[in-house]
Amino acid sequence: MTGLATGLANATVNASTVLILAGLGEVISERAGVLNLGVEGIMLVGALTGFITTSITGSYWIGFSVGVAAGGAFSLIHGVLCISLNADQAVSGIMLTLLGTGLTTFLGNPWSGQSISGFPERTLPIVGDLLVEIPIFGRALFKSTMTDYMALILVPVVWLFLYRTNIGLELISVGEDPETADTMGIDVFKMRYLAVILGGMFAGAAGAHLSLAFNEIWSASMTAGQGWIAVALVIFARWRPERVLIGAYLFGLFNALQLFTQGIDFSLASNAVAAGLLNPIIGFVFNPTIMSTYPYIVTVLVLVITVARAENRQLAQPSALVQSYTRESE
Amino acid sequence: MKLETELTPRTEVPKWMVYGTPVFTILAALAVSALAFVALGENPIAAYQVMFVQTLTTEFGLTGTVAKGVPLILAGLAVYIPLKAQLWNIGAEGQLFLGAIFGTWIGLNVSLPAVLLLPLMFIGGGLAGAAWIAIPAFLRAKLGINEIITTLLFVFIATEVKNYLVRGPMQAEGANFPQTGELALAAQLPDIPFVGLPTGLLIAIALVVAIHVVLNRTSLGFEIAFIGANDDAAAHAGMSKFKIYMIVLLTGGAIAGFAGLSEIAGVQGRLRANFAPGYGFTAIPIALLGRNGALQVMLAALFFALLFVGGSSVQTVIGVPAAIVDIIQALVILFLLTAEFFKSYHIDLSLRRTPDPGSTGQLDGDV
Repeated sequence: MTGLATGLANATVNASTVLILAGLGEVISERAGVLNLGVEGIMLVGALTGFITTSITGSYWIGFSVGVAAGGAFSLIHGVLCISLNADQAVSGIMLTLLGTGLTTFLGNPWSGQSISGFPERTLPIVGDLLVEIPIFGRALFKSTMTDYMALILVPVVWLFLYRTNIGLELISVGEDPETADTMGIDVFKMRYLAVILGGMFAGAAGAHLSLAFNEIWSASMTAGQGWIAVALVIFARWRPERVLIGAYLFGLFNALQLFTQGIDFSLASNAVAAGLLNPIIGFVFNPTIMSTYPYIVTVLVLVITVARAENRQLAQPSALVQSYTRESE
Repeated sequence: MKLETELTPRTEVPKWMVYGTPVFTILAALAVSALAFVALGENPIAAYQVMFVQTLTTEFGLTGTVAKGVPLILAGLAVYIPLKAQLWNIGAEGQLFLGAIFGTWIGLNVSLPAVLLLPLMFIGGGLAGAAWIAIPAFLRAKLGINEIITTLLFVFIATEVKNYLVRGPMQAEGANFPQTGELALAAQLPDIPFVGLPTGLLIAIALVVAIHVVLNRTSLGFEIAFIGANDDAAAHAGMSKFKIYMIVLLTGGAIAGFAGLSEIAGVQGRLRANFAPGYGFTAIPIALLGRNGALQVMLAALFFALLFVGGSSVQTVIGVPAAIVDIIQALVILFLLTAEFFKSYHIDLSLRRTPDPGSTGQLDGDV
């Protein structure tokens, strides 16, 4: 049983890094009022540019940096369209996903199937060997790649940035009430650009982690929908970075469970009470494919609960999300 | 010297802009996509020749385009109708799966002559599509929960439901592949006699006409457009936002269901696990290109069908990935969004000698 738990913990933690990085980026962007549905496309751009750079230079650190920068640059398209040209944020985001998927599939074709040597798994200095011995979670958490550690460190960093720095608080105020923020002298446009580019850099990092640490290969559409999961995750986390961490583990766990429950029979013994009635239901509920819908169903429920509670509590969703801002007196 | 830009909202959009935008957009998207061919060392003109000229001048290419066009027209309408009320059905792909699933299920399990069976399948498929959007629609109409996110989330749920069914309860007995059994002949859409085009085309055209009439000639169509233009004013005028939102979204879902089923009953003959045509997402640029009317939606859908058929020819003939179609699609949306801006604002450029400290060259329409 500990073997299973250890395996599950490993798979969960491994799968969560991508979601943590992409989710944190989306939190920053949405906190400033810009929904970015282009995460999936930006991640692919980060993954391919990082991969090609590493392949050419031989340095995964240079590759990773290029992936991050490319993510930021690519998200700038979304920024210009939504912030300066008042375009519909949802449509622009979907466009970015299409563009990223198309460009990387098309231009990455010659690199498809090639492999590189990316980030190695490392233990922490001095105490590392001890920490790995912690049962169940030791290996999962403390024998990881640098990008895994980085994702974990970025959770408190983003929290501090958003809630404990002036620029972070200004960013949040722009997402809540751009008019008031503007009259207080905050440059709404600059703030939103900053948030979109930062968010893009995080998504680029998530993609580069995929191709340089998680898989160490490039293949078309290798993100496999994780960018969309990151978008759902942000709603689940109700726009707070620390809850992104919890959500990423939960979503990662559901994914891992699919792999681990495949061989397990959950059904009741045939002589148990109501086994005939319950077994088909159990079989359905624990079916790996059906289980992979749970994160999405939970996300919808979270949305409903968030809105239903909004009357007597502060709404967690940034009030000006999806609203473009123009400095016109209307 | 400083370049100043001044933006003033347009009160009226020039006619040439309204009708020129789709054409300009497509040309610009093709011009920029040419760079992608150049990047892979291919001649873009030769590639476009294969893509468009070869497709449009062969019978195979033309019938292929029409066959692909049918689900795209339907999916385009599924996004277009809610868009009339300023709602985004981003999840047409999910409703399309449900239509395909339920329609196929009826086709496999009910034995009736084709004249009764096919309508029954389409009614079932349409209802399933509408049912799939019902929760997001209700959440939007009643609680104001953003329909963009919920319809999208339901796509991912629908994908897994389809995978589950095709690998489990609906899988053909004794089959090694994750797919249903083949639909009986009575459950498959025949070709139009003598013409050799899919019957689905007639369904699509009938719906385009019906929707055009409803939106332009009935009071319901007026209410939809009014709510889309100004929902507060519409509420004051005594219109029910709840009712209109439910109508446009459920209708959109039903038509997306038709789109999925028309592809199964008209082209594929059975539901496979890898059925993920992406029509529901292509429907977004289609509805945007054709947002001036149902007929324009149909033209835009046929254009994208041409792109898909041409894209796969380019892949086989020149050997570059058909993903070029995704790039063109994305660029069409990109240029449309840009054009939207120029349609709604009038831009004045002027050079000033001394920079005015008050304005920084950003949006500041002094009205």
